Amino acid sequence: MLATATPVSNPIAVLRGWWEYRDLLYNLVSKDIKVRYQGAALGFAWSLMNPLVVTAMYLFIFTYVMPSNQPHFALYLVTGIVHWTLFSNLVTQAPELLTANAGLLQKIRFPRLLVPASNLLLNLVLWAMALVVFFSLFIPLGGHFKLVLLAYPAYLLLFIGFNFGLMLILSVLYVDFRDLKHLIEVVMQVLFWATPIIYDFKLIPAHLRLLFAASPLTEFTLIFQDLFWAGRLPSQHLTLAFIFWTLASLALGLTIFYRRSARLIERL
Amino acid sequence: MTADYAIVCEHVCKDFVLHHNAQHSLKARFIGLFHDRWRMTRQSFRAVDDVSFTVRRGASLGLMGRNGSGKSTLLSLIAGIYPATAGHIETRGRLVPMIALGVGFNPELSGSENIYLNASLFGFKNREIRALFPKILEFSELGDFIHEPVKNYSSGMYVRLGFSVAMHLEPEILLADEILSVGDAEFQKKCLAQIAKMREDGMTLLFVSHSEEQVVRFCDHYLYLENGRVIGEGSTDDLLTPSVVPRRAPG
Repeated sequence: MLATATPVSNPIAVLRGWWEYRDLLYNLVSKDIKVRYQGAALGFAWSLMNPLVVTAMYLFIFTYVMPSNQPHFALYLVTGIVHWTLFSNLVTQAPELLTANAGLLQKIRFPRLLVPASNLLLNLVLWAMALVVFFSLFIPLGGHFKLVLLAYPAYLLLFIGFNFGLMLILSVLYVDFRDLKHLIEVVMQVLFWATPIIYDFKLIPAHLRLLFAASPLTEFTLIFQDLFWAGRLPSQHLTLAFIFWTLASLALGLTIFYRRSARLIERL
Repeated sequence: MTADYAIVCEHVCKDFVLHHNAQHSLKARFIGLFHDRWRMTRQSFRAVDDVSFTVRRGASLGLMGRNGSGKSTLLSLIAGIYPATAGHIETRGRLVPMIALGVGFNPELSGSENIYLNASLFGFKNREIRALFPKILEFSELGDFIHEPVKNYSSGMYVRLGFSVAMHLEPEILLADEILSVGDAEFQKKCLAQIAKMREDGMTLLFVSHSEEQVVRFCDHYLYLENGRVIGEGSTDDLLTPSVVPRRAPG
């Protein structure tokens, strides 16, 4: 093993470097799961609690209080909330990733990207349970297993990529701007209501639609609703926007992370 | 770089930015645009100043100096944790920085879980750690306590575990930062013996210590730092002649 103090710029060498650390990634994730759910009798079932309660609440409101005229409204709602939950968990945890691991980062040299990567993996593992519940409710809620669902993994991967880029950006910015956390809390509230999760996109007045559609979250939600609720392939237009957002987020995230993370370590 | 050298440092400098009015918020930055009093004044501090040295493969160098002389910063630079502001550093061989013992230990996890986590932070595969595990456990003398959460350990046990892991990572270059002053006398002796043995097997050692006696014992050469600059260097044989090492800041 040749260890140099200068960063490796060859992308293949970088990838191989990560692969070398796969056991570390596994150990970091299993550590987080053990620590987080130690002594909790229900263990990681707790991670399901939040999305389940939120869904139940909205279902109640929009079935009994303000009935929605959307066919299969429950399926529509659950589709949006399941994916929103992943986004919201990742983004709210992202800012503190580097500062929370300052002790490790300042004493041991290992690929720093593993810190956000292990958090991503941790959240994906926990979220997988929500996804299992979602799929088991899919037919009862009126969904049909159609061929279009085969496209889901590809879209999901793009969605995860988008989130990861965002996590990198937030974790780096937080080191200098500690009020980012509070800002995110507020923005998440606004974003939730600005995304057609509990209402139909078509209910938005036509002249405002463009504004709503500009949010990447809206595009992602529309795509997942197309796949699961409408049972059709998302339009080319949406797919391209989706790919654009993912690439932009990853490119920006990785650039910022690699440019700045080395210099940030001393300031954590 | 010549193959004989394990560590090469050329004109290495490190500046830290001191944030006097440290404003870690957007609000303060914004107000700072209009009000002088809120503006951040940056002042930098040179912790390591134009340090050059080489360590041959299998040799050992003792870094000496008082608190705040830049020893630990230099070690972190060599370990690749911070980037140097100027200059060039190269290391060749598996480098294990022992900048602090038990870094990355999670108090909630058991001793054995922490061994896996810690060793993997140094780039070991779980398969390799499984093979090393009995040796680490034996060296640590922790016995059945290895299955206890680390938060229930005494500080001595904690140090023993940390040391045992670091000792078994098969370092080709060991960066040791004042770690030998810990643990009880018996265990300390055992660690020193282990380091001496690894030295015989060809390990390169960079050793930070206050103790001249330990430096003489473990190192062929020494480097004396003050305010980030090298103010004395040479063979440790010279240390036996008292006048060579400046023990006080001049003036």
